[in-house]
Amino acid sequence: MIKVNNLKRDFLQGQQRTQVLKGIDLAIEEGEFVAIMGPSGSGKSTLLQLLAGLDVPTDGDIQINNKFLNKMNEKERTIFRRKKLGFVFQNYQLLSTLTVEENIAFPLHADGKLTNEKSKMINALIHSVGLEGLNHKRANLLSGGQQQRVAIARALVNNPTVLLADEPTGNLDRAMAEEILGLFLKFHRQNKQTIVMVTHDIFAAGFADRIILFRDGVIDKVISRKDSDYAKYLANFMA
Amino acid sequence: MSVKHGILTLLFQQQHHGYELKLELDSLLGINGKINPGQIYTTLDRLIRDNLVSSPGSDDQERKLYEIEPKGKDELEKWLLEPVPYYTSKEGFFFKWNCARKIHFEQEKNMLEQQREMIIKEVMELTNLKTELLLQGDENKYLLITGMLLHLEADLNWIVQVENRNR
Repeated sequence: MIKVNNLKRDFLQGQQRTQVLKGIDLAIEEGEFVAIMGPSGSGKSTLLQLLAGLDVPTDGDIQINNKFLNKMNEKERTIFRRKKLGFVFQNYQLLSTLTVEENIAFPLHADGKLTNEKSKMINALIHSVGLEGLNHKRANLLSGGQQQRVAIARALVNNPTVLLADEPTGNLDRAMAEEILGLFLKFHRQNKQTIVMVTHDIFAAGFADRIILFRDGVIDKVISRKDSDYAKYLANFMA
Repeated sequence: MSVKHGILTLLFQQQHHGYELKLELDSLLGINGKINPGQIYTTLDRLIRDNLVSSPGSDDQERKLYEIEPKGKDELEKWLLEPVPYYTSKEGFFFKWNCARKIHFEQEKNMLEQQREMIIKEVMELTNLKTELLLQGDENKYLLITGMLLHLEADLNWIVQVENRNR
């Protein structure tokens, strides 16, 4: 479970202090698929960076599986991130000169040499993201959709409990986005992974159980299909 | 497509005789085809019976004129503001919107917002259904729903474009 209490993040721009997150309270259940939507600069990506332990809050608490991320030192945070969290970026962030297999295996190297068992797991992941036969192809020779598949496999290689994704379909056309979201859904149901996905796209957000709407550094509303007026609210929010 | 509401739209602007109504309705329909004149007159009879339209007399060529009644205006406004369910939305909503533009309907913005709300509701419900079909491996139904969602995406983009141009 992810619990966020009174989370704040300020940034200094010259002498000017800008509050990007203004005290967020949020609870995401284990195994839930949540989408975060909001205009540019509303704080949604900042929240994701904080949840991933890639950034530290100015104030407030972040608990993931009962561990306080904000109370860990940098080394503890790095280890926690590597073992418990997976992250998928809009621009894939692969190492372009490494192969598909090497990119996926990359997070495992920190734990020592690749064992046979781990190699088998990587092959299984390559199969499950639909990249059979491309094990030895270099990342920079792949299409955008293929690169995102590699990024998803890499994010899943440590079997994380939480998968965080920042605009994972932002650089893809509708058909390719559909395939990527289908993969998220498959892993979410198979492995019961919690997914938190930032998106500007209502067609992607529709895959989620709940949608969290951000505006000006605060949560504007949490939307669920069970709410009678959710479509009206979403339509107004997007206008 | 509704001949009744097409006639009410045209009479909202001014009095017309039957043949003018036929020509104007054909033009309002655009590429969708032509109206049978018989359909115009039977619809006009029903509209008169229901007090939505009346006849103030004839023009100088003895052609019977028709005009809209307050009840007809209420009916037209009610229809314009009713969101169109998805299965008819392509033709239905574009026709309705065209009628609204023709009479410079003041609540066009409201109309577009309501249609957008309906599309978003459809998107959310269809996506939910699609995810289940995807997991069940029902490829045919999954693809059909994906096709419907692509239409909805186009309709949603179109509404945004109209709104942007209206600003």
